[in-house]
Amino acid sequence: MAALVAQSPILIIAIPLVAAFLTPLIGMKSSKARNALVIGSLTFAAFLVFALARDISINGIHVYTLGATSPSLAVPTGFMVPVRIVLEVDGMSIFFGIIWSIVSLAAAIYSLSHIAKETGQNRFFTLLLLMVAGGFGMMFTGDLFNLFVFLEIASIAGGALIAFRTGFADTQEGGFKYIVVSAVAGLMVLFATGILYAQYNSLNIAYLAQVIQYTTLDQIALALFLIAFAMKTGMVPLHLWFPDAYSVAPASITGMLVITSHACMYAAFRICFTLYGGVIDALVVGWIIIIVGLLTMFVGVTMAVYQKDVMRFMSYHAISQLGYMWVGVGVGLAVLGTPALLAYGRDAMSGGIFHILNHAMYKPLLFFTGGALFYYTGTRDLTRMGGLAHKMKWTTVLYIIGTLSISGIPPLNGFSSKILIYESVFRFNPILTIVGIVVSILTLASFTKAFHSAFMGAELPEYKGGQEVPKSMIIGMVILAAGIVFITLFPSLIVNWAIHPAADALLDQGAYINAVMGAVP
Amino acid sequence: MTFIFDAGYTFWNPLIWIIVFLVVAIIVYFFRRTGQKGYKKDTDQARIFLSGEEVPEAEERHIRVGNIYWGFFETLKEYYKQMVRVHTGIINDYILWFVAVTVVSAIILVIAGRVG
Repeated sequence: MAALVAQSPILIIAIPLVAAFLTPLIGMKSSKARNALVIGSLTFAAFLVFALARDISINGIHVYTLGATSPSLAVPTGFMVPVRIVLEVDGMSIFFGIIWSIVSLAAAIYSLSHIAKETGQNRFFTLLLLMVAGGFGMMFTGDLFNLFVFLEIASIAGGALIAFRTGFADTQEGGFKYIVVSAVAGLMVLFATGILYAQYNSLNIAYLAQVIQYTTLDQIALALFLIAFAMKTGMVPLHLWFPDAYSVAPASITGMLVITSHACMYAAFRICFTLYGGVIDALVVGWIIIIVGLLTMFVGVTMAVYQKDVMRFMSYHAISQLGYMWVGVGVGLAVLGTPALLAYGRDAMSGGIFHILNHAMYKPLLFFTGGALFYYTGTRDLTRMGGLAHKMKWTTVLYIIGTLSISGIPPLNGFSSKILIYESVFRFNPILTIVGIVVSILTLASFTKAFHSAFMGAELPEYKGGQEVPKSMIIGMVILAAGIVFITLFPSLIVNWAIHPAADALLDQGAYINAVMGAVP
Repeated sequence: MTFIFDAGYTFWNPLIWIIVFLVVAIIVYFFRRTGQKGYKKDTDQARIFLSGEEVPEAEERHIRVGNIYWGFFETLKEYYKQMVRVHTGIINDYILWFVAVTVVSAIILVIAGRVG
């Protein structure tokens, strides 16, 4: 078991990658064997993620160097800098890894029935596994170039999956927009990486964090990194592509795309706190993130109330909720290096990070319920729905759980993270809390509107003959709902075991650098 | 494992809320049980009574999504007009926004770096 854990950082990326290439081969012979391979590989990857998380909680940061005599030997003998590909997994990386493993497994199970009537399923699952490998790579990589490579893998697979249902014109348009936006963002990340490489002759994040000077070129590189990742997360005013792409993808993929947004958010945090942590103008960058985060919350929710397409409605809510995370972590960044960090900054960051976990449970769940509505009715148009609770009892209950959670209604998990954000950011600036509460009220109002439109009322004649969605779709939704219930019941356990270590990992830049550079023989 | 969430000044116990909800649910159930015993499902007893007026068909009486929160949208008409105008759906515009925001951010960071 110890040997397995030692190799786990690369295995977690390699297993879905290898399974992706095996999927079309096995799928040609048997679809059942292919499905078993997909679910089996994702389950095993999830098992490794949890085993690695346990190891990190006991032994600290896990460094894995490819091609070295010992995985922890990041800097080869006779060298002063790391030259090999290094994976570095700390509390923050594994936190995102846990989220990604749970949601990707739930999405794959959900997909078994959701795309059962579509052609090209081998390609679908191949792309899904590639996307999973890309996501894990982004979270675990210790160098900037591989961050770009894994970002591209996840983006290209994501774009193809958005356009998977070729029978609809809007899916092709959505896929095209996603690919263009991702390519531009990816290019900017590559450009920024090039700027740093030209100055410091290295791509390793830990080494760069140690030597970075914050020159004018570094400042421009920071802007490129931040805005590129902000666009990928759908931060206002760069969110315009987000509903166009997310609303047309198969629901299982939309759930996963939400987590790729989280992966880009992770990358932005890593750049701000770890790479630039020692030199950044924290107050200025923190305030930029806070202001844009507030805009993201407000514009996202007001546009969501306006929507009549159930998936666009949920996409705008995803944007709005991402704003909470930006605000929480932005406050932590703004007070970095001041006494206020210990007073409330760490709690604000913890609230933002906790909200990422909660969002990763309820948002894919809500997208899955949206997908279930589409599966049942054949439309995303809420004006054509009504009375569906009569036939879709499971979906109705799961939608209510997701709605109460996203709206921050006690006792569900969304409330735990929101109260942590509200009470900590209030001490930084009360206006942030007021905006947060107003956005929460609007969130509840809009979900109530959608609930009434789709589920309530008398049974409509056109939907009388139908029946609830297949079991695998329900199982996919129940996995996420179970996650919500667990976090609801044990918020303290989650915060102490996962959230605080993740926030501390971001704040402790020295530990991240030492884990790689301290290995010099 | 504890149900209590205590992060310094944030205290929260979901178990108390769950117990409160369960108690309320039991009380509601108790009141429901005291209701009319002679009720028979799928009979005329279950038909909607609308002051003697003819009851419209299910699809006609369902309040659709476009009719909810009309006052809210009417009040914020100008805001939504501007917001819809920005959401053009054209990818060129999206990239233009990206370029503009990147340039502004870079200028702010460089100036802040000089001043700091």
